[in-house]
Amino acid sequence: MKGNNTIYKEENNVEVRDIISLNLPNAPEYVSIARLTLSGIASRMGFNIEDIEDLKVAVAEACTNAIKHGCGKDRNYSIEFLVLKDKLRIEIIDGGKGFDYKKVKEPDLTKPREGGLGLYIIKTLMDEVQIFNNQKNCGTRIIMSKNLGES
Amino acid sequence: MILNIKDQFDEEKGRWLIELEGEADVYTVNNFKERMHQLLDEKMADVEIDGTSLQYIDSIGLGALIGLRGRMADQEKVLIIKNIQPNVRKLLNITGLDKIFIIEQED
Ligand SMILES: Nc1ncnc2c1ncn2[C@@H]1O[C@H](COP(=O)(O)OP(=O)(O)OP(=O)(O)O)[C@@H](O)[C@H]1O
Ligand SMILES: [Mg+2]
Repeated sequence: MKGNNTIYKEENNVEVRDIISLNLPNAPEYVSIARLTLSGIASRMGFNIEDIEDLKVAVAEACTNAIKHGCGKDRNYSIEFLVLKDKLRIEIIDGGKGFDYKKVKEPDLTKPREGGLGLYIIKTLMDEVQIFNNQKNCGTRIIMSKNLGES
Repeated sequence: MILNIKDQFDEEKGRWLIELEGEADVYTVNNFKERMHQLLDEKMADVEIDGTSLQYIDSIGLGALIGLRGRMADQEKVLIIKNIQPNVRKLLNITGLDKIFIIEQED
């Protein structure tokens, strides 16, 4: 998987302190578990309340996308929380149909429509966002990070 | 998670008063949409949403509000949102919806 190289290279220079993994059914009623887990981890790390809210929203948006667009029925998707020295990185991985991120248009904020806000919200709230979907029908991996003690 | 919806028609103001309590997200949104459309079927009027106890909203919840506003705008009715929490406000700001909905803060 060529496109993934950057990530692993970067990981070599980054001290991953802890990894927490969640594997959730493809069903909306469990998204709140991802949010709760996130709150627990982020407050332990010392994120402030506003940052924790941002993280919660971003993670929930990615989970919702995994459910709504990603996985087929009766499949699970997974979430990994990587506790780094001064940031929290979260990866949401689904085995669904994947999509071409470059083709997703930014929402026109002057003409609101239903739908198309999730990725925009994620990008606004997180410090870094990367999306990987190297092959068709091989799912999506969205990686996002937020730095501790900024803002 | 739960979203409780209380509704009441204010004859004086001629508008629906809706109190939302809980979380408007992917899980609760369908119920919310259904309920709001039923109310508008019953009586097409302005809607005032009180967000004092709305703890959380996601893109799908925002989408539901956009859809609702669309239906009401066709009938020249307005959607008013008041007393929202800072986290909800932040999402309205970053999505530009603060300029689309009528937002009233009461403090
Ligand atoms: N995990 C995923 N798998 C497949 N496609 C995805 C995934 N995440 C996003 N997409 C695609 O990217 C588009 C934009 O996603 P985004 O979250 O911004 O909007 P949305 O989910 O359509 O609507 P909203 O988030 O406002 O409810 C989606 O419509 C979908 O086509
Ligand atoms: Mg989405």
